[in-house]
Parts: sequence; C-alpha cells; structure tokens
Amino acid sequence: MPKDKLKIGIYELTGCAGDALLIVDCEEELVNIFTAASIEAFLMAKSDNRHGELDVALVEGSVSTEKEKEELLDIRKRARVVVAIGGCACVGGPQAAFLDKKEWEKNLKKVYGNIEFSHSRPLQSKPIDAYIKVDCYLPGCPIGKAQFLSTFARMVNGNPPELFRFPVCVECKWHENDCLLNKDILCLGPLTLAGCGSVCPNFNVPCFGCWGPTEEANRTSEYYLLREKGFDTEVIKNRMANYSGTRITEFFEQFRKEKR
Amino acid sequence: MKTISIDHLPRVEGNGGVFATIDGHVITEVKLVINEGPRLIERLTVGKTPEEDVSIAPRICAICSVSHKNAALRAMENALGVKVQPKITLLRELAHMGEFIESHSLHVYYLALPDYVGFPNAIAMASKFPFEVKIALEMKQFGNAIMKNLNGRMIHGENMVIGGFGSFPTREDLVWIKNRAIQFMPFVFRTVELFCGLDYPTVPESDTLYACCEPGNGQYGFWGEEIILSTGEKVARDDYKSLTNEFLVSHSYCKRSHYKGNPYSVGALARVNVLGERLQGESAKMYKKYFSPRWKKNPLFHNAAQALEILYCFEKVPELVDEILAIPENPPVVPYTTKTGKGTGLVEAPRGLLIHHYEVKDGLVSDVDIITPTAQNAEDIERYCYLAAQKLLDEGKEDAIRDRMDLVVRAFDPCISCSVHMAEVKRAPSDDWKKKLAELQPAGPAFIGIGKEGRSDDRAGLDLAAGMKEAGMENVYLETEIEEDHSLEGLAGRPLIFLDIVNMGEPAGKIAMLPLQHVFWNAVLSHRLLPAVSNRLTYDQIKNAYILGIQPESIEEGGRLSNSVRAAVEKILEEITN
Ligand code: SF4
Ligand code: SF4
Repeated sequence: MPKDKLKIGIYELTGCAGDALLIVDCEEELVNIFTAASIEAFLMAKSDNRHGELDVALVEGSVSTEKEKEELLDIRKRARVVVAIGGCACVGGPQAAFLDKKEWEKNLKKVYGNIEFSHSRPLQSKPIDAYIKVDCYLPGCPIGKAQFLSTFARMVNGNPPELFRFPVCVECKWHENDCLLNKDILCLGPLTLAGCGSVCPNFNVPCFGCWGPTEEANRTSEYYLLREKGFDTEVIKNRMANYSGTRITEFFEQFRKEKR
Repeated sequence: MKTISIDHLPRVEGNGGVFATIDGHVITEVKLVINEGPRLIERLTVGKTPEEDVSIAPRICAICSVSHKNAALRAMENALGVKVQPKITLLRELAHMGEFIESHSLHVYYLALPDYVGFPNAIAMASKFPFEVKIALEMKQFGNAIMKNLNGRMIHGENMVIGGFGSFPTREDLVWIKNRAIQFMPFVFRTVELFCGLDYPTVPESDTLYACCEPGNGQYGFWGEEIILSTGEKVARDDYKSLTNEFLVSHSYCKRSHYKGNPYSVGALARVNVLGERLQGESAKMYKKYFSPRWKKNPLFHNAAQALEILYCFEKVPELVDEILAIPENPPVVPYTTKTGKGTGLVEAPRGLLIHHYEVKDGLVSDVDIITPTAQNAEDIERYCYLAAQKLLDEGKEDAIRDRMDLVVRAFDPCISCSVHMAEVKRAPSDDWKKKLAELQPAGPAFIGIGKEGRSDDRAGLDLAAGMKEAGMENVYLETEIEEDHSLEGLAGRPLIFLDIVNMGEPAGKIAMLPLQHVFWNAVLSHRLLPAVSNRLTYDQIKNAYILGIQPESIEEGGRLSNSVRAAVEKILEEITN
C-alpha cells in the first residue's frame, strides 16, 4: 500500500446507522473507495479495525452517552479532519429535538423509569460539534450517495468539499416538478438544505426537512412564502424541529434578526 | 473470576457486546449489552401530526426502515380508521419483500457464512466462494432497488404515506422487478441448499417459545392482525402487551420482553417454526426436505430459516407483481377526518415481530409504544449464550466459548447486523493455467468448445475443440452437440472445461483458467450460451467447472481470427495434446 494513501476512519455513535449503511450500499463504488484510501476503521463493514492516527474521520450519530463522548474526543485527537456525516452528527438528529434539559430528563424517565444504568451514563443527545471542532458537515437523513461520493472523491484528492447552500426547491425546479405548495401541501423545501435531489417532491410527497435547515440568504422570503400560503409559524416551526436538532433555535433566532 | 467478552461484536452491531463471566466451573452471568445511547424516539413524536410520526418513527433503524414504515402506517391507519385499497396493500407488501431480500441475503452470506466455512470475513471468503459473494451482492442490490422504486429511497423513503402512495411505480418498473426476481431463482435454490444443508453445531439446543404475526387465511406472510405462538395460542393485535411485557435491565438501553415469565424468540426461525407448514410451491418442497425437530430448539437454524424465506420472497415477488398489474387504476391517497383514536400495527421485520402502537388526540400524537424484535430476542440471546458457554465449559472447551457465543448472537441477527466485506471482491485471473490444467487431467475432464464462426476471435473455442478432436482426444464437444443432446448427465463426475474467449481486460491472447463461479452469470462472455448451459448444471458440477479462456482482440462480425488469439490457440493445443 503506498504510504501517501489517505487514512480514513468511519465511526458510528447514536443513530440509526443509516449513513454507514448508505456507504455500504454504494456497492459498485466501495471497491474503489477501499482502494483509493486506507479504511482504518469501519465497524459496520470490517472486523480488523485499527485505532491509530487518521487523516479523515467520518462520524455518524449524535453523542448520547458518556462513553460516546469519550470516544469522540479520542477520535478528534487522532484525526486531522473530522467530517460529521448525517443529520444526527450534524445537528443532533431527531433525538436532539428536546431542547431543554428538563424536558429531556422528564422523557428519559418516562421511557426508562428510575433505573440506574450500569454501562454508560446517558447524555442529552447533541451534535458532535457540541464537543469537538468539526471541519465539514455532510447533511442528510441518511446522507445521499451522490453527495457522499463527490465529497469523498474531493477529499481523497486533497480538495475541500463543495456542498450545496441553496434550498431543496432549487433541485425541485431542476426536476420540473409541480410545486406542492400550489396544491396547499406544506412542503419544507424552501427552508431545507438541498442535496437529496428533491426526492420527496419528485415522488409527489412533501419534503419533511430531513437535510436540515438551509443557511442560504433568501430563506426569510421563502419563509414568508410559507406564511403567505397560510401556514402558521408554530406549525412550520414544529415541523422544522423534527430534523433540525439543536439548530432550530439559531435558525429562528436568525429569522427574527433578519426581520428587523 | 474471569470475564470473557466480545466487546464491539464485529459483524453484528457496531455498538453491542456479549459478556460471559466464569467462576470456577460455572458461568455466572451472560450479558448482552447494547451501548447505543437512548434516543427516546417514542417520546419524540408525541405532539406531532400523524404524517410527521410516520416520517420520524422509521428513523429508529435504517436496516429495517421499510418494516418500521409499514408498522407505523398500519398502526396509524388503524388509529385513524383509514382503509386502503388492495393495490396499496400489495405494493406495500412488495416493498416489504425488498427489505427481506436485502436484509436476509446480506445476513446469510456476508455475516453468517464466513463463520461456517472458516473465514474471518466475507472478503477473505471471496477467495473460496467468489460466486456466492458476488451474486449475494447482486441479490442485496435487487432488494434495495425494489425499496427505492416503491418507497423513493432505499433508506428512509417517504413515498409510502398514510392512506396510499405519493406516486406509483410504472408498469415497466414492475415488470423489471418480476423478471429480475425470476432470473435469480437458480441462485436462490442454491442458497437454500447451502444454508439448510450446513452442519449446525448441536450446542446450544433447548426448547423455547416462538412468536410471529398470524397472517390469516392459513397463509405464510409478514403481517397480520394477531400474533400466533408456537403453542398455538393467539394474541389479539390490541393485546400485544400481554405478550411483550416489556421490562428494563440496567446493562442496556434496549428494553426486554418476557411472556408469562419466560423468554421467547422472534425472527425467521420463529416464523418457519410456527408457519412453515403453510408454505407453498417450491418453498414447501424445500421445507419438507430440510425441516427437522432440531429447528425448534437450536437458534443456529435461524440462518437456514432465512434462506428458506429468501426463496419464499422470490416466489412471492412475481406473484405480487402480477396481482398489482391486474389492477390498472392507481387509487388516490385516502383522506381522513378522524382526529382521535388509538391503533396498533403488527408486522414482521426481517429480525422478527415489530409492533407500533399510537394514540392520537385532536390530530396530534399523544402516546407511542414501539416494540422491536431485538428487544424481544435479547433474553433468549443471553439464555442460549449461557447454555452454550456452560456446556462448552463442562466439556473442558473453554477456548471455544467466545466463538460459539459469537455464532449464537450473530444467528439472531440483532439490530444492525451489517458488515459487508465486499471491498477487494474482484480478483485478477491467474496466469498459471498450465498448472491448473495439469491438476485436472487425472480426473478426466470434458472439454466444451464455445463460440461462433465468422465473428473474428469468437471462433477460438470451436477451433480449440476441433484441434483436440483431430488429435484424437475423447470427451471433447462442440457447444452445438451439447445443445442438441441436452444431456449433461453423461459428463457427471468429470470436471468441465469450457473453451471460450473471455473479456478479462487483459492484452489480447492472454490465456487464463477461471473457475466458472468467477464468471458465471456475469456478462464477460461474448454470447449467451454459457448461462443457458450452466443453468442446467448441478451445483456440484458448477463448483467443478472452468473456463479456459483467451482474451480476444475483436469479436466483430465478419472478421477473421486475430494473430494473437491464433497463437494462443496453438499454445493451448500444444500443451493439451502433448
Ligand atoms: S416547496 Fe416543495 S414542491 Fe414546491 S418547489 Fe419547493 S421543494 Fe418543490
Ligand atoms: S425532499 Fe426533504 S425530506 Fe425528502 S429527502 Fe430531501 S430533504 Fe429529506
């Protein structure tokens, strides 16, 4: 193996393992991935995993236990570049939607009662950047194949990743779909980061926002578009909260500022 | 005191482990630990609309996302009094089949098989089973393609909605699915033969209770309105709690289940044990051929049951497609007006019984209960690990405990059992064809020349066979002779060597002896006869068949044999006739 091969580790914290599964599902390209880089660790795909220095660590899942937090800190120490892959790592995922600690504790109790866990203390789920510096975010629930492969290819060749910053609606227009909002269906396309290829509207179902919130500048007008359509702020906010994790607060903060 | 641990169980679940503690001559404890953090998905959807719930709830597990989607839809539709058209149910069932095909083929070939044939993982196994590794991957891809087609994405698609479908697959898509399923059949049979015929260890064996959905109408199937147990008892959908009785243990965030104080098992083995007699067609034949009372007490037979279910799915898919195509109208999404209600949805996920229960109040979800297969199996996984560990310890085989527990846990296929070792599956054809040929000579191989005249290098196989006949060799045939004769039986017991050109991506004239399994089914061959012949071969024959191939320069219509290939033909003839 030439020694200039990029050393890559793929790690899973708490989530549904969909991002790792998606990587595994890139069947055709996997051989090339494994040849282009040296995959040091990928629990889902191999058993001979090493835990040394890394050029890039891809981390899926939110931090939800003390043990995961330690694991993550260790990964950061070993890796030159850390990429958050998938909604759970980027924004905390659905499990990070309990915004205040009290509410989370109440719900933890509701599900697990007063039991004292012996193996690892639970933590309120947070995106990985709550604990470490993240160099790149690959959004999606799960991440998209095209975006993953292009990011991966750029990284292997030493280029910075290039991700979309505009909303799903742009991709939806590329696909020449009839806009669902015209049929008074609440579609989160205007507020959601593009990258999935507008799959849901392509299938005539509204976007649920699983790529997380877009940070593109014209979101305010997009937001007003939804308001004009008669959707109430609370309803939009509730729905945006499903996949925006801890970002939802900043997101609406920003709106308030832009409005002024 | 000593602890044997399998932390980070490779090839089962990224975040799990089994720990056994030995004290003197006794196993004092066995723990299955699931380190995944708590996600509280059940609480997350409280306060959301039903639509949002059926989007979020499947995010529990990517590998079972279609099962979760179907369970959520069934529960929600029960709660809201939505009745969908038969076409919708059929399409959902087809998507469900996709998930089973994907999940089962991945599990049996990539996770379970390496253990039984003595390899650390599937990549290593590919050296000996390249054919299985390759076609299993295609089978898995096929499962994904079905899900993507019907649900929008292979993971977490949103096309299946409350009351129907966002959009419908085209007729072409459905016909493609059907045809592709039929094409896989020979391999599916081999899968059943392989996994049902494996020599499963006798430790651990112990009776247990099995539970699965009762599909109704005396059918085999993956959902229903009741649960049926191996005792014959039935539990109504809404009484599911009397079966599952969830409780918690401090060493895992995954809840546990007990029925009347006893552990029970769910999954492929449970379904086959409870419903096996109801299988139809080829699946019924295979069931009769392989089923034995050992299946009822040995969890390792999960793999055999999964293989049987792969066959069930491949028989079912074309049937479902025909039924769907018989209903031309695409029913619109059924709207609902009910704002309050409760409902339960029962489905079989690949790993077993999956239950979603919802209460909706004034249009918002007010209570959620989700019971996963792994939660129900956890107790039995620990129990069987314990039995195995203790038995092996009694027999003085302490060293074997770790591997055996590994085998047991893996058989149950808990949660995320993904680990596809398919990197480096491709291998370069070897260039020492002479050595291989010499090795086969004592067994009296038969040679079959394949090709077509008047198509440049495509005639090479025929020229080779003609040259051999001329030199007075026996057991040499032309493809046309085999085709007319239709009896390959006369060749039984002999290695078969097909003479043909093969596109190996090498310089023209390159000669290689390839095990047929390397190239079988793959379109590296210049024409279609070979698959036609090889489909008639038994598995034993395929394992003992080869292609003596030459890299062609061209197969253009009307062209002549190229010089490089002519030289290769001469080289082979010289070697063989000497
Ligand atoms: S709102 Fe939805 S349907 Fe309309 S353009 Fe945007 S993504 Fe497409
Ligand atoms: S359309 Fe929206 S919900 Fe659908 S995949 Fe894309 S981002 Fe996710």
